[in-house]
Amino acid sequence: MSDARIDSYARALLEIANAEGVLGEVEDELFRVARTYESNDQLRSTLTDSTIPVERRQTIVENLLGGRSTNVTAQLVSFIIGAGRARDLPAIADKLVQAASTQQGSEVAEVRSAVALSADQQQRIASALAAKTGRKINLKFVVDASVMGGLVATVGDTVIDGSVRTRLDQLKSRL
Amino acid sequence: MRNLVSLLAAEDPTQTHHWLLPETAEIIYGGIASVIVVSLLVKFAGPMAKKALADRTTRIQSDIDNARSSKSAADEEASKIRAALGDISAERARILADADKQAEALLVEGRARLEAEVRDMEAKAEADIAAAAARSGDELRGEIARLSARAAEQAVASALDERAQQELIESFISSVGAAR
Repeated sequence: MSDARIDSYARALLEIANAEGVLGEVEDELFRVARTYESNDQLRSTLTDSTIPVERRQTIVENLLGGRSTNVTAQLVSFIIGAGRARDLPAIADKLVQAASTQQGSEVAEVRSAVALSADQQQRIASALAAKTGRKINLKFVVDASVMGGLVATVGDTVIDGSVRTRLDQLKSRL
Repeated sequence: MRNLVSLLAAEDPTQTHHWLLPETAEIIYGGIASVIVVSLLVKFAGPMAKKALADRTTRIQSDIDNARSSKSAADEEASKIRAALGDISAERARILADADKQAEALLVEGRARLEAEVRDMEAKAEADIAAAAARSGDELRGEIARLSARAAEQAVASALDERAQQELIESFISSVGAAR
């Protein structure tokens, strides 16, 4: 899908979330849904399978998110699936997060780790990144087993890579 | 006369007077007859014989001329054949010389081509050997690196327990905080 269309979808979803007064939750939940969509091959192939009726795919999404996210998030994801834009779900979600952060005057920071971080760790990382960048940080955490150990933080174009995976890759390159 | 008659009457008519010589009359008659015969022969057979002899002479002369002409022609033909034989020998020698020259040229060219091909094949073989050696070395190094990387990854993965994970996270937070 073109960037303009992705921007339009993201703006529409942002307006709905704003109107419902749940922008913070929606953008966080959409971000997690997008990362899950990217990492789960079965979910991705199911939601993009045109041989499965749209209603059936929407039901699958609503069942998956039911009780785990706000109703608005579930409805918005269902709307994207119903519009036949499941393939663009990650891009739309990322645009939405970006737009929400801009609206809030903050910078999106994505932190990937092999294990879940505690609330204290999340807070300290947010503080450290905010101090380092000098900006308010909209932190998004992703549990990604491929990191193996350590963390990878991406703030805008800056990547702070303290992952075991990268060190192993560097070792492979030297070998 | 009486004596002659007596003599004649006294002789035996069946007996000659000489054992070798004929009777005189016989000689006379015979001589006359011979003259007549010879005269007739000279008159009638002479010109024919003379003509026959002339014809024969002419024929023999013609034969001699023909033979001379044939001999001359044969000599000329023999001369031509000898000349032709000479030409053939010269042509044969020329052809053989040309053939020798061409064979020599072909031999030189073939030898040069073969030497060039051998040099090319040797160079290609050396390049192939070098490439194969380099490839084998690269493959070996790649395989060692791959196995080493896999072993390192497995070792690291097995060492990454909860405590190690937390230490890595804390280390990251500290490093980001310290770098501000």
